[in-house]
Amino acid sequence: MTQPVLAIEHLRVDFPEVVAVRDLNLTLDAGDVCGLIGPNGAGKTTTMRAVSGLQECTHGQVRINGHDLAREPDELKRQLGFMPDFCPTYDQLTAAEFLDHFARAHQVPNRQKRIQECLELTWLSEKSWALCQELSRGMKQRLVLAKTLLPDPKVLLLDEPASGLDPLGRIELRKILLQLRDAGKAVLISSHILTELSGFCNKAAIMERGKLVMFGGIAELGKKMTTRKISLKWRGDGDKAIEILKSGGVKDLEAQSNSATFRFEGGTDGLDELLKSLVNGGTRVSEWRAAGDDLEQIFLESGARELM
Amino acid sequence: MKLNENPIFITQRRLAHRGGVLAPVLIAGLIGLSLLAGLVAYRAVPADFRGFTTLHEAGKTFYAWTIAAEILVLVIGGFSRVSRTLAEERKAGLWDSNRLTPLRTSQIVTGYWLGSALREIYMALTLAGMGLVIVVLGELPLTLWFGTQWLIFSAALFFWLIAILAGLSFQRPQIGVLAVLIFLAIQPFSFIFPGFILTNFLLPSYGIINLFQRGAAPEKTYSEHDWVQLPHFFNLPVPPILLSFALQLSLGILLWREATRKTANPFQALMRRSEALAIFGILLVAQHGLIWGLWRGRFPNEAITQHPYPSDNPDSLFPAVHCGTIFLAVLILAAASPQPETVRVTILRRDIKTLGAIFSQSAVALALILGALASVVLFSHFAGSIAKSWEIYLIAAGNLVGVFLIFALLFEFCRLRHGRRAVGFLALWLFALCAMPFILAAVFGNSAFAKLSLLAPGVTALSSMGDENLNYLLGIVAAHFGSALLLWIAWQREWRKLLARASVDSKPD
Repeated sequence: MTQPVLAIEHLRVDFPEVVAVRDLNLTLDAGDVCGLIGPNGAGKTTTMRAVSGLQECTHGQVRINGHDLAREPDELKRQLGFMPDFCPTYDQLTAAEFLDHFARAHQVPNRQKRIQECLELTWLSEKSWALCQELSRGMKQRLVLAKTLLPDPKVLLLDEPASGLDPLGRIELRKILLQLRDAGKAVLISSHILTELSGFCNKAAIMERGKLVMFGGIAELGKKMTTRKISLKWRGDGDKAIEILKSGGVKDLEAQSNSATFRFEGGTDGLDELLKSLVNGGTRVSEWRAAGDDLEQIFLESGARELM
Repeated sequence: MKLNENPIFITQRRLAHRGGVLAPVLIAGLIGLSLLAGLVAYRAVPADFRGFTTLHEAGKTFYAWTIAAEILVLVIGGFSRVSRTLAEERKAGLWDSNRLTPLRTSQIVTGYWLGSALREIYMALTLAGMGLVIVVLGELPLTLWFGTQWLIFSAALFFWLIAILAGLSFQRPQIGVLAVLIFLAIQPFSFIFPGFILTNFLLPSYGIINLFQRGAAPEKTYSEHDWVQLPHFFNLPVPPILLSFALQLSLGILLWREATRKTANPFQALMRRSEALAIFGILLVAQHGLIWGLWRGRFPNEAITQHPYPSDNPDSLFPAVHCGTIFLAVLILAAASPQPETVRVTILRRDIKTLGAIFSQSAVALALILGALASVVLFSHFAGSIAKSWEIYLIAAGNLVGVFLIFALLFEFCRLRHGRRAVGFLALWLFALCAMPFILAAVFGNSAFAKLSLLAPGVTALSSMGDENLNYLLGIVAAHFGSALLLWIAWQREWRKLLARASVDSKPD
């Protein structure tokens, strides 16, 4: 069995009046993109700061490729990149100089070439000679991401990377993250906006008041779910379909002339049976969507509070 | 890693240059040129300058103004710049970003230490250059220039290390600058007995003035004499430059260790107990070594009968040193006292939940050690006269231990009890214990009230030279220890509450 790239074991962080993170266990393999989801104050940022070594933890171990953070902090600095939820930049430096600062600090070989690569990856090549203070919020965010990528870390911790980005910025960020996933990086990405994470996360970790309430592969979590939200469309008369749905024990049924949404309790097999009954009953099903692999659905299923 | 390869230094240099260095350098140049022009004018028409009798005198005056500006720029301006840079970069998250790189903590500290105040360094170098021309034109010895420049730059480096710690400790860098300004504001008071007060060697005013006075005949006044002669350390003459350098170097090494450790782990207390003890010990021994020659171990009998200038009365010197010792200990105890939260996390981590474990970590144990050390050093003044002066010694030493203990207990009690409002309540308690008795004494016209103050017994005993009612003062010291006992009980109760909370928190989830 190969060892995980990132392993967090029994992590606990205490603040004066609250236990910010309590007994958190999480593992990521190469190519994993894990969405760390939770409402504000759930402990996402504290977890990331503790894993990166910026926050003192009470108990617990963080290992990167088997190296213990507490014993080998230098190894951690080489293999882990942390992007905070704000954009710390030297306003009076140009984007290239800002990256040069961190490339020197990480002793990156072929510094200028690597800086250019990172600028290109984050679509900032044209802004390399612009002062950081002249960059927009989104550009700064990408610049800090470029800084995080400079030493080519194996593990990336991205804390709310899309906060404050415009729609175009979010699309660009999503493309970058997909590239990183394809490059085999292990990425832990936090957000309280689930739509930001949908589509490229293959794992999800849901936090609530410092505790990890659910963790696993998105598909695996979807299978475990007992309640699913289904949307259905058909052609022709729908009376028969609605009748079958009602007799099939669905909940919260909202029917239109040729579509319906409902909640279904009964697992994947039960859902297959319901679909078969509809088709056998003469309903011409044109669309059948089970939202089981959707992060929002998983989050709601986890029992955590509503996202803010 | 060489300094010019240190990324933090390079970035600070880029930031300084981008912000513009020409204007500050030109300002320094204009100041220097103005002073140089004055000297050139004196050389051309000496009669126009009635204030000066010789070229040396004119040269010294103009050079003195040059280095005054240099000190202002390098020490004050540099301190402000370094502490502000650190505080701002911490706030912006850049300091954390740098900590996450493989740079060693010493490289991070060096980068900020030598790179933050580059503008001020350029200005100082310009003024130093102008100063050299003034020294040459004024036909002054080059040793004056080398000596003064050495002292100014070494003092600047020393104060910048303090600035690093201020920047790492305070959210508002103005607090550190304010502390330096207060230090400079009280500095002139130490000029009353220049060769006997330590601050004249930390900020090397004695060494600088001594270099200016070199060769001058000592005047028959106590203070003038002190600037000219070598200071005495346990009655042995020591060159002031050497004393300043030794102090700055030894303290600087300890401050450096603190800065690098705080960079590695910002959650630790500013000082380790061993470092706090070393800093206190160095300063205490240095200060008492400077005044030891006045009594030579036979306080108060010897007085200064063997001193060449007995007309000057140093009665106030010992009480001033006593107050200085208390002030220093209070600062060190505050810096070394761990946050209750840090102690709680340590308790949770180590799973040790006894008051003994807390005592070993708290500032109260340190207060006792500092008190013991201060008492030993104080004894050096009484070693030859203890049979006659034991009461004075007991009062002074008991006062030191009592005040240290009360402060440490109060400080931690207020932190535990009042959380974020701790500073306000601590100030209230200290006001009640230290200042209130003086107010009552003024209101009721009865000086007995004043002696109840925490600061009073030691100061009164040391300045009385034995003619005070010492039994009354001993009683007050005993009462202070009684207060410490009450505080100790309250302190224990607060820690027990925290231990109970830690026990609940450490239960399995």
